[in-house]
Amino acid sequence: MKQEIRITAYKCKACGQIHYPYHDRCLACKKRDFEQIKPEGDAHLLAYTQIFNLPWGFDVRFLVIGVVEFANGIKSMGQIQVDSLEKLKTGMSLKPYWGPVRVEAEEPVYGLVLRPS
Amino acid sequence: MRDVAIIGVGMIPFGRRDEDSLLDMLAYASLDALDDAGMSEKGVDAVYVANMGAGILQHQTSVASALVDRLSLQPAAADTIENGPASGASAIKNGVLAVASGYYDTVLVAGGEKMREVVGWKATDFVATMTHPEVEYPYGITLPGMAGMFTRLYMEKYGLTQEQLIAVAIKNQKMGALNPYAHVNMVITREGIYESPDAAVNNPVAADPLRFYDMCPVSDGAAAVILCPLEKAREISRKIPVLIAGFGQATDTHTLQEREDPTDLKAVTLAAEQAFRMANLKPKDVDVAELHDAFTILEVAESEHVGFFKKGEGGKAAEKGETSINGKIPINVSGGLKSRGHPVGATGVAQVVEIVFQLRHELVPKRQVKDAKVGFTLNFGGFGNNVVAFVLRRSE
Repeated sequence: MKQEIRITAYKCKACGQIHYPYHDRCLACKKRDFEQIKPEGDAHLLAYTQIFNLPWGFDVRFLVIGVVEFANGIKSMGQIQVDSLEKLKTGMSLKPYWGPVRVEAEEPVYGLVLRPS
Repeated sequence: MRDVAIIGVGMIPFGRRDEDSLLDMLAYASLDALDDAGMSEKGVDAVYVANMGAGILQHQTSVASALVDRLSLQPAAADTIENGPASGASAIKNGVLAVASGYYDTVLVAGGEKMREVVGWKATDFVATMTHPEVEYPYGITLPGMAGMFTRLYMEKYGLTQEQLIAVAIKNQKMGALNPYAHVNMVITREGIYESPDAAVNNPVAADPLRFYDMCPVSDGAAAVILCPLEKAREISRKIPVLIAGFGQATDTHTLQEREDPTDLKAVTLAAEQAFRMANLKPKDVDVAELHDAFTILEVAESEHVGFFKKGEGGKAAEKGETSINGKIPINVSGGLKSRGHPVGATGVAQVVEIVFQLRHELVPKRQVKDAKVGFTLNFGGFGNNVVAFVLRRSE
């Protein structure tokens, strides 16, 4: 079953600035009232890398990690499932999923996973 | 506000120091600084210790109190300052404020970190705890990974090339080979890390597009400075005082994704502007600079953001030799973090110690910038979310 993407972003009710992660005051206007919004549409790749020296919690040879922007302006980091960076290009569209991204205390931790469309 | 001078400096060789504890290293550097200031048997009013991770890496807290005890400096006030990789410069800044305010006359600032006693993945994980705990860290992003993403964006926006980054790596390792405090004393060549068939093995991808030789080593090390009011410097010490002519500190968003332009290191620009304004000097007045080259890309980007070069020109300048010891603005004549290593709590203090050596004209000719009078340091915390800059001036 496809899992909901469990990202909640915060849109400032005064100026419209979108925040993810949460801030207690708006980065732009410093007001404190936010509307909760969810990511919508495909994700466009803004930046990416492939890392080989991994921290604790990963039993893989490398990770491909990127930052994407959803159609409604939410920006998030996520893991990209590709076997080669040659399949990626800044600006390309990726399909977002909610899936396991690491293991902690033998339990999966879920997060944003991205695959080429 | 009183003018504040550095009257003593100390540093131990960085590297893998299995035989020394964190406290040993901090004590050795502090004793060197006290001796250098002519205060071998004197006390200080306050001690600030810069350290990022003893609580995680050594299971040790209250490091400043422990250092006071080790050096028998009681009843000096003591605080441990943690500001990630910018802890060192943050601690000096707090020491400067304490002396400038008139509250304390003599302050010891020591920075140290012992990172090599844990395995590589643990050290990587420790540094990655700086990332956002909810929206970055769970994905496995590391600081080299952040730098990799930043580098690709910089290449796309400004046309920065791999060859330009290689020029930075070669320059800094060449200078590091002359620095007895450096962790890495190995000269590298363009052929060995880029052009030869073996280059892919010698210099593998670490965080694409960054490669192994774009990274600084993980190191153990410590450095220390003694601060006092400039007006009392000559009474206390026979060394040439080095004036803290200006300092600045600025912050930016925790995550890169929330920056309007992720290639714009706003905190670097603001911290440098504050420091230059306070010193009443400009980037063109700087004779020698120590920038925070944890990754080669950072030396390039910082050299532009502090005002030494226009945006997009830093890589070309490095490639043309303008940042070498005989260039327009010598940068990281110590070998930088790239060669000295990056024991995170020590780095900001070590940068200032290096500039004091330069401004007192104490280095061997191959490493001494001729007639250096004004120096600059930049200590970069997180991925540019907390940055501290100093302008230092030789006081004749």
